[in-house]
Amino acid sequence: MADADLPVVARFEVRRRAYLSADGRTIAPLPELAADPAALIALYRAMVLTRTFDLKAVSLQRTGRLGTYAVSLGQEAVSVGVASAMRQEDALLPSYRDNGTLLWRGVRMEEILLYWGGDERGNRSSGPAHDFPFCVPVGSQAPHAAGVAYAFKYRREPRVAVCLLGDGATSKGDVYEAMNFAGVHALPLVFVVNNNQWAISVPLKLQTAARTLAQKAIAAGFTGEQVDGNDVIAVRAAMDEAMAHARAGKGPRLVEAVTYRLGDHTTADDAARYRPPEEVKAHWKEEPIARLRSHLVARKAWGKAEEEELAADCQARVEAAVERYLATPPRAPETMFDHLYADLPAAYAGQRAEVAGGSHG
Amino acid sequence: MRQFLLPDLGEGLEEAEIVAWHVTEGDHVVADQPLVSVETDKAVVEVPSPQSGRIARLFGAKGDIVKVGAPLVEFAEGPQADTGTVVGDLGEREEKERHAPPAPEPGLARPRGVLPAVRALARKLEVDLALVHGTGPDGTITRADVERAARSLTEAGPAEALRGMRRAMAQRMTAAHAEVVPATVTEEADIGAWAQGEDVTIRLVRAIAAACKAGPSLNAWYNAAAGERRLVARVDIGIAVDTEGGLIVPVLRNVAEREARDLRAGLDRMRADAAARSIPPEELRGATITLSNFGMIGGRFANLVIVPPQVAIVGAGRIAPRVVAHEGAPAVRRVLPLSLTFDHRVVTGGEAARFLMALKADLERPA
Amino acid sequence: MAEVTLVEAINLALARAMQEDERVVVLGEDVGADGGVFRATAGLLQRFGPERVVDTPLAELLISGLCVGMAAQGLRPVGEIQFMGFLYPCIDQLVNHASRLRNRTQGRLTCPMVLRTPCGAGIRAPEHHSEHTEAMLAHIPGLRVVIPSSPERAYGLLLAAIRDPDPVVFLEPTRLYRSAKGEVDDDGQALPLDVAFVLREGRDVTLVAWGAILKETLAAAEELAADGIGAEVIDLATLKPYDEATVLASVAKTGRCVIVHEAARTAGFGAEIAATIAERGLTSLLAPVVRVTGYDTIIPLPRLEQHYMPSPARIAAAARRVCEFA
Repeated sequence: MADADLPVVARFEVRRRAYLSADGRTIAPLPELAADPAALIALYRAMVLTRTFDLKAVSLQRTGRLGTYAVSLGQEAVSVGVASAMRQEDALLPSYRDNGTLLWRGVRMEEILLYWGGDERGNRSSGPAHDFPFCVPVGSQAPHAAGVAYAFKYRREPRVAVCLLGDGATSKGDVYEAMNFAGVHALPLVFVVNNNQWAISVPLKLQTAARTLAQKAIAAGFTGEQVDGNDVIAVRAAMDEAMAHARAGKGPRLVEAVTYRLGDHTTADDAARYRPPEEVKAHWKEEPIARLRSHLVARKAWGKAEEEELAADCQARVEAAVERYLATPPRAPETMFDHLYADLPAAYAGQRAEVAGGSHG
Repeated sequence: MRQFLLPDLGEGLEEAEIVAWHVTEGDHVVADQPLVSVETDKAVVEVPSPQSGRIARLFGAKGDIVKVGAPLVEFAEGPQADTGTVVGDLGEREEKERHAPPAPEPGLARPRGVLPAVRALARKLEVDLALVHGTGPDGTITRADVERAARSLTEAGPAEALRGMRRAMAQRMTAAHAEVVPATVTEEADIGAWAQGEDVTIRLVRAIAAACKAGPSLNAWYNAAAGERRLVARVDIGIAVDTEGGLIVPVLRNVAEREARDLRAGLDRMRADAAARSIPPEELRGATITLSNFGMIGGRFANLVIVPPQVAIVGAGRIAPRVVAHEGAPAVRRVLPLSLTFDHRVVTGGEAARFLMALKADLERPA
Repeated sequence: MAEVTLVEAINLALARAMQEDERVVVLGEDVGADGGVFRATAGLLQRFGPERVVDTPLAELLISGLCVGMAAQGLRPVGEIQFMGFLYPCIDQLVNHASRLRNRTQGRLTCPMVLRTPCGAGIRAPEHHSEHTEAMLAHIPGLRVVIPSSPERAYGLLLAAIRDPDPVVFLEPTRLYRSAKGEVDDDGQALPLDVAFVLREGRDVTLVAWGAILKETLAAAEELAADGIGAEVIDLATLKPYDEATVLASVAKTGRCVIVHEAARTAGFGAEIAATIAERGLTSLLAPVVRVTGYDTIIPLPRLEQHYMPSPARIAAAARRVCEFA
């Protein structure tokens, strides 16, 4: 029997969602959430704030007032779109390039700066207490997300865990193990793959042979959808649907947001070493903030005055946060022992005293 | 292109106000990336980068007015320096590893290998480990060894710290031993010819003076550090005196030029002062040679201790009748044993022997 | 009171903990329907249901990561890793997350999880089933490492581990699972963590050990007693942080210490104890601190296994050598 005659036992499809083209024109009927421009303006303002903060963070690093920083230039729509679809009682498990999400959920800018500036207090966070902090070992937050979602389900709470991952993370076993478990137990868990097409210097085509990252959910037994990650309306709509599905107890979802990492991997990286400037230039034409602005301007919901006012407002807020960050004194050195265990064991009290007494180093 | 000038914004506009910078100095940008938003009468527009490259300098701050054609941004020449990392800061190249010079000898004092518990026990029992004989493997000191030493010490009586003359003697002898290279030659003087009641010490003192004439190199001072020897013309003999407190060596000056009676008076005064412990310090200094008349108590010959800067010491043992060859036949004669210890760093055996023979010859004269 | 084996004591403790606190969730491979390959979780699925006793997919990293997430959410997960030989995919989650979560969030999130795993050789098992690499875990700040050596201590220490607000790796000596028997009162009483147990008093030499090798250590102590040498035997029980005070007090009394562990010699946990004694107990010592350990080889397959393990004779010989030292 020729291969083509064998019965098909499973067939899958991956759909792609997009509403705005690169230059901001509407290419598909807009969803309900986009009916009122005010809602979109809120997203726009958040994206601009995110970018303003991001650029300022880079400038602080360049002037020696911040450590290595992961730039999120170009991904503002993914971060803000995801955050805006979540409730406070949902749990976020971010990667390290999701500032827009953190800021929307109430994390203060100076806390993010404290973290990258080298102070654990940055992770204490004014966002929801149950949100996880930045995750540096790529993909290792996925099993945590499964554990968190399991707890929600166990307690019958209508809460959803959202796990933000990069394209590189999808190559990691951790991520598959978590997705697999989430599928088996129909966990209230949405995996968001922020596909910015680069994992440091490794491009997507070396990362996977899969045509989409969304289809990785299929292997774990649930639906994955691809979305234009530069179209915040699309991101938000996809998330609304996925969150509702998960919250209703119908199981996990994966949303692959396709965007582009317009900046370097970190402030210590120089992407020109491995990718051609022409490619980046081309992607600048698709960036999310300009796109939404064009759309809003076309709807006469936005103009120059608003743009100025927003720029000034964002600058002021960022400057104020930077002041607070720079004015934060370092912790006393012995505090490095204070959250090691609930109660510091006697075995280490001597070390703590040594550090407190200054006879260390 | 190094400097990027504010381009013509169209419609005859000549200048614009900077609303917000989107890049910082040091950033690498790509062509078309928005550099800055500027405001004209009509709108807020973004100015895209004309090229890819690294921003070296920005001209103007937020709120500044920039004229069309004025510099906006300066690009850096040349390739970006490679940080060599994606996180953190590797820092500049440090200097090559320097090899430390070898540690100078001898380093810190190293106590003998003794187990800490044994050492602690010794401290507790006030046992000096230097005095303990070790019976453990490789001669290490065991707990039992320390305990045994402690027991024998309690049987020995309490430790007394050396003070005064005894302490001075211990220090002086230690220093001498460390420096001097002693050699001893002995003889016996037949004093059968002496009259009754002859003053032994005075005879010895005058004999030494005579011997110094024959062997002047034994009446000398030697400064080892400078490598210099001084032959001394005058003979000032240090007389070893045994007192209750210990040994002192007052100096009998200019022995060669004084009469016997004068010498005796000097000796007696010396002894009295010594017993009374009233010898002034200057009386104890400056001897050119020493006499130890230990024979007054007992003993025949001795290897004595030379105290620098002297180079010789004469020892007189106990006078006793001995069977000797006298004029070819055995006879019982009164014999005075003589020991001469000399510092072989500066005195030869020949010089010492000549000195000793002269000493013997002078003592064997009837008077 | 009942006489139970060590694995039965584990089972009693798990059941007790789950009964008292509905936040306790057990998860791992084969822990549910099969009751665990060693029957440590027998009967729990039937009693507490599949939401609290979870048969996970075959994914050790996932098990440890799930525990982190559940614990951060306030559950009390007890994950089982089927053999210590399969613990290593969990190192990422233990080192990068479990041990750090409280510190890196300054107490905002915490990680009250337990990861249980059978360890050690002596059951004539195939490759990779005889691991005893506690030293690598004891190195990690923020973790606790606990290893019982008797049914009574297994019961009490596991309860303590589950109730502890910080992550615990609980190592269970496989060869004691069935062979160690003891009286255990299922009264819910925990034993203290961070505390060593003096199993036998003596004045002449201190023997420090943990886990299954305590059996051989106690046998060596009997041999030594017949020769008039009084050995004091200490079961550390908690390796990290360990009870330095009890060990130092014993060495101050005896002046001699022999450390016994099944794990390989170099950088084994015995080195840590020896270093502490050298640093803080030096003036007590009458002899060098000696370690009797597994060799620096891969633990051999069953045919040679007994040559690797410290025997009572090896332990007693080392004790005699230090007693005769000086």
